Amino acid sequence: MIPKNVLLKRVSPLISQIAEAHRKPRWEPVAKSKIYRIPKRPEISEEERLELLRINNNYKTQMRAIRRFYHEEMMRELSSLKSASSEMSQKLEAEEWEKCVHLNEEWNKEVAAEREQRRKIELAAMEEYTLKRMEEKDKEMREKIEKASAEIRLQKELSATFITPDNLEAAIDAALANPIDYNFAIDLKGNHFYGRDTPIVNQDKKDNAINTNT
Amino acid sequence: MPLPPATGTGRYYAIAAKSIRLIRHGCTNRPFFHISVTHRRRLNSQPVIEQLGSYDPMPNMNNEKLVALNLDRIKHWLGKGAHVSPPVAELLGLSGFFPIHPRSYMTAWRNRRTERENQAKEKAEGSS
Repeated sequence: MIPKNVLLKRVSPLISQIAEAHRKPRWEPVAKSKIYRIPKRPEISEEERLELLRINNNYKTQMRAIRRFYHEEMMRELSSLKSASSEMSQKLEAEEWEKCVHLNEEWNKEVAAEREQRRKIELAAMEEYTLKRMEEKDKEMREKIEKASAEIRLQKELSATFITPDNLEAAIDAALANPIDYNFAIDLKGNHFYGRDTPIVNQDKKDNAINTNT
Repeated sequence: MPLPPATGTGRYYAIAAKSIRLIRHGCTNRPFFHISVTHRRRLNSQPVIEQLGSYDPMPNMNNEKLVALNLDRIKHWLGKGAHVSPPVAELLGLSGFFPIHPRSYMTAWRNRRTERENQAKEKAEGSS
């Protein structure tokens, strides 16, 4: 047994029966609660019925005439299309075609001239733009080279103080001879006292001054 | 496989009966209709031959219900003997392309009658 949902939601027809969305399949019987329900007939008075009959008849007659009119019009158009394929009309059409081709060529020439002019202007603008860009690029490169050469000069100057294998021993000796102690103490005012053995001067004086201030 | 276009496939059987009808294209609580020509025995969910117009039954900000009609093509299909469904016939009648549909007259006089009755009832309630 195929589930009902699959039948309702399927995209391509598996079976010849096609169900509209939200409708129950045709083989479902009338709901049990609706078996004995008899729909009420609309009540139309005799007067209204006669009036409806009259206007419906009129409408049908008019519609028949309209339909016939459009049908005849279509037939007329068809026949005129058929007659258009005769020899005379073909000649006329060929002439018309020639004229159109000439006109089209003229227009094409005009447009081509316009296009050429526009292209020239565009090319000039493009050249200008390119040159400007190239100049800018050149300037940038020059600046870069200048910066680099300045750096090189600075490094060359500094290289006099570099430690090399030749003066390595001397540098080591100098470092050993002059030891530097980076340890420091700091007081409340932010004064640094470098070295471990540096004597602190005026410690009491400073404390006194702070006490008197507060 | 792509869906067939709502504006119509353009393919049809020459002998089969055609009908010009409203095809609902809106979503829930928002009706919108295409006026399309399709085979008479086809469901509204199936591809149509050609779209001939549209109908928006919900009044817009200017209180208008907009209808668009391609009268040239409608004439063409009428010439080919297409049937016209009553709602479309009513629309065409109101647009002046067809005579006014009898159902339009009927709804009009029935609306008038209910209004008259309502007014009478109000009057009676007011006087009592």
